[in-house]
Amino acid sequence: MNRRKFIKRSTMACGAVAFLPGRVLAQTDKASNSASSGGTGAGAAGKGKSKTGEVPDYAKNMLHSDMDGIGPDGKPTGQKATYTGASKANAKAEEAMKHKMKLTKEEQAILDGKDGKEKAKLMKILVTFGNTFGAEKLVDLGGAPHSNMFIGAPYMKSMIKMLDECAKAGLKSYAPYTVNPRPYDVYNVQNNAKDMTMIYEGYSLQWDLDYVHVRLGAPDLNYRTCACYLDEVGNAPDPGTYVAWAESSAVNYGNSVLGVRTNRNGAGMDLIQAMLGKAPLFGLMTDEGRKAKWLVEVKTSQEPDWGVIGTAIGRKCVEDVPYVTGLDKYFKGGKVTPDNQHLLKAMGSATASSGAVGLYHVEGVTPDAKEKGKKLLAKGYEPYVIDDKEQARIISTFPNLWPDKNGDPTAAFIGCPHNTYHEVIKWGKLVTEALDKAGKKEAAIPVYMFMPNPVRDRAIEEHGELISKMKRAGMRATNMCGVSYAGMKGFSDRVRGVTNSAKTRNYSTVRYFPDETLVKIIVTGKIPKGA
Amino acid sequence: MAKKTFKGRPVLSGKLTGKALVSKQPFNLTGSYLKNMFAGETATAPCTDSANKDLFEKDLKGAIICTPQTVGSTMGAGTVMMLSELGVQPQAWLFSSHIDSISAGGLLIDDVWNDKRVITIDLLGDAFLEAVKTGDPVTIHEDGTVEVG
Repeated sequence: MNRRKFIKRSTMACGAVAFLPGRVLAQTDKASNSASSGGTGAGAAGKGKSKTGEVPDYAKNMLHSDMDGIGPDGKPTGQKATYTGASKANAKAEEAMKHKMKLTKEEQAILDGKDGKEKAKLMKILVTFGNTFGAEKLVDLGGAPHSNMFIGAPYMKSMIKMLDECAKAGLKSYAPYTVNPRPYDVYNVQNNAKDMTMIYEGYSLQWDLDYVHVRLGAPDLNYRTCACYLDEVGNAPDPGTYVAWAESSAVNYGNSVLGVRTNRNGAGMDLIQAMLGKAPLFGLMTDEGRKAKWLVEVKTSQEPDWGVIGTAIGRKCVEDVPYVTGLDKYFKGGKVTPDNQHLLKAMGSATASSGAVGLYHVEGVTPDAKEKGKKLLAKGYEPYVIDDKEQARIISTFPNLWPDKNGDPTAAFIGCPHNTYHEVIKWGKLVTEALDKAGKKEAAIPVYMFMPNPVRDRAIEEHGELISKMKRAGMRATNMCGVSYAGMKGFSDRVRGVTNSAKTRNYSTVRYFPDETLVKIIVTGKIPKGA
Repeated sequence: MAKKTFKGRPVLSGKLTGKALVSKQPFNLTGSYLKNMFAGETATAPCTDSANKDLFEKDLKGAIICTPQTVGSTMGAGTVMMLSELGVQPQAWLFSSHIDSISAGGLLIDDVWNDKRVITIDLLGDAFLEAVKTGDPVTIHEDGTVEVG
C-alpha cells in the first residue's frame, strides 16, 4: 500500500474515534485528566513524601538500550554518540555557541506567538535544539511522521503531560502518523493475572499516552508497529522526503532503504517536529551528513548472518555511516522487494541497537548508493572487513545469559522489528512442515510471531489454511513490542527465550540462533548439540 | 589545588558554585535513576547503574555531574523531565563532549515548557574531564566558563 492509501485509511480511523460510545469517552476523559493533573499510577514515583522501595525487576533491563556504552564483556567501551548520526567529535565551544539558524518570517512569527503560546513554546524548543546541533535552517516536512513514544510508564508522566497540553490546545501532527507497538498484549501473550498485574503497575499511563496519540493524529491501535514502512501499513515516503522519525530501526531503514531524510530523534522531539511540520536541517538530513566514514566489505563465503553482520557494523561504526559492499548479490537486480526487505531490516536494526547507526549505504542496492556509488565515502574513511572469521568472532561474543544455562528453551520470539508478510508465511511453512515431518501437530514451545495487525489480516486472507495450522501448532500472532516483553519483571527467571532477532538479543537474555537451528528448537524443545 | 579554567558552550546557561561529581565514562541516563523512577525515592537519587564504577550508589540529587556525554534509551528525554518533576534533578550537567540529542531534547523541553532549568554546559573538552575530580569545587559562569579548584 502506498502512502496515499495510508493517509486515507488513517484519516478514516481517526474519524471513527469521534464516534466512540459515551462510556468509553468518559473513560478517556478521566484518563486524560489523570495525566494533565499530574496524577501517578500504581508504581509511580510521586512527589512529596519519599519512599524507599525496591526497584521492580521489570525496570532493571532499562540499563540496556541502544548504544549504552557497555561492551559485550560488560565493561564500558568509552564510545560516545550524539544519537543524531551526526558525530560532533571535532566541535569547538567557541564556534558552536555563535551558531544561529536563519528563520523565515513565518517561523519567526510563530516563535513570537502568532499561532498561540503552545506553538510558540514548541518553536522555541525546536529552534534551540537546531542551534545546539548546528542546523542551517528549518525545513518543511513531508510524508508522515513515525513516533517511538510507546511506553506509558510512570516515568514518562511529565512528557505525556506536555503532549496532553498540546492536544488540549488543538495542536495536531501535520499528517496522520504511525507509532511504535504497545509494550504489551493482554489478548495473545500476557493473558494471565500475574502478567496483567505487572502491566498495570509498569504501564499505568498507557491509556493516557494512547489517548494523546489519537488526538495528535495517530490512527487506531491496529496500525501500531516499529516497521511502519511495510506495504500493509504504508508509511513509506518517497526518497529525499524530509521526515521526523523516531525508533532506531525505522529511522535506520527509512534513511537507508527508502532514502528519506531524518535524524535519529528521541522521544518527544519527534512529536514536536510533527506538530510544527518542520525539522532542523542537520546531520543525516544533509548530503554531507550522509557521507560514509567506514567502508565495510562483506566477504563471507556464504550468505552472511544478517543480524550478526549488523551487530558487527554497529559495534565498529557506533553512529557513523557505513558504506557496505558485497551484499548486492542477495538482491536480484539490486532491488529491495517485499520478499527480501527483511534481510536489510535484520541487518539495519542490529546496527542501530548494537551501535547507534541511523543510516547505511549498500552498494548497488540502496538509493543513495545507487545514485552516487563510492563517491559517498568521506575523505579519510576507515576500512572494516567482515569475513567468515570475523562473523564467527562476533557470534562468539553472544553469551548464554539464561540463569539456568543448561535448561531447555521455553519460548521462541520471531520478528523484531516486526515481521514482514513474507516472513510470516516463510516461518509458518518452515515450522508446520518440520512438524509434519516429525509427525507432530504442535510445537514443543510457544512461538510468538510479532507483526502489525494489517500483516496478520493479509496472511489470514491469503493463506487462511496455513494460518489456522500455525495457530494449532502454537504459533501466536501479536502486534506488541517483543523487546518490551523480554524486559518484563522476572522474565529471565520464567522464560528461556530463543530468537531470530539480533536486536532482541542485544536487549535481553533471549538467545540468538540461525533460522534452521531455531526451527529444530521449536520442533524438539531442545537446543541442538554444538548450536 | 591550582584553579583551572575551561571554556564550554552554555546550552542552558546559569551561574552556580558547588562540588563536582565525576563520571569518566558516559552517563547512562535512564539506567542511573531506576530507584527514583520506579521505587518512589525522592529524598535522594542513588545511582543505580552498577556498570558505572565512579558513581554507583552515589547520590545524584542536586549534583554537578561532570561526564563526557549521556547514553542510553531514546526515552531518556522523559527521564530528564521526570527528574525535575520529582525534585531529584542535578543542579548542572557539565559535558566534556558535544551534548547528545536525547538529553538535549529533555532538558530543552523542560526548560521551555515547564520553566525548569538545569544548567547545561557542553564542549568543555577532554582536558576538563582529565582535570576535574569528584569533590573538587566548581564555579560555573553564564558564558559557559567553568572554573575547577
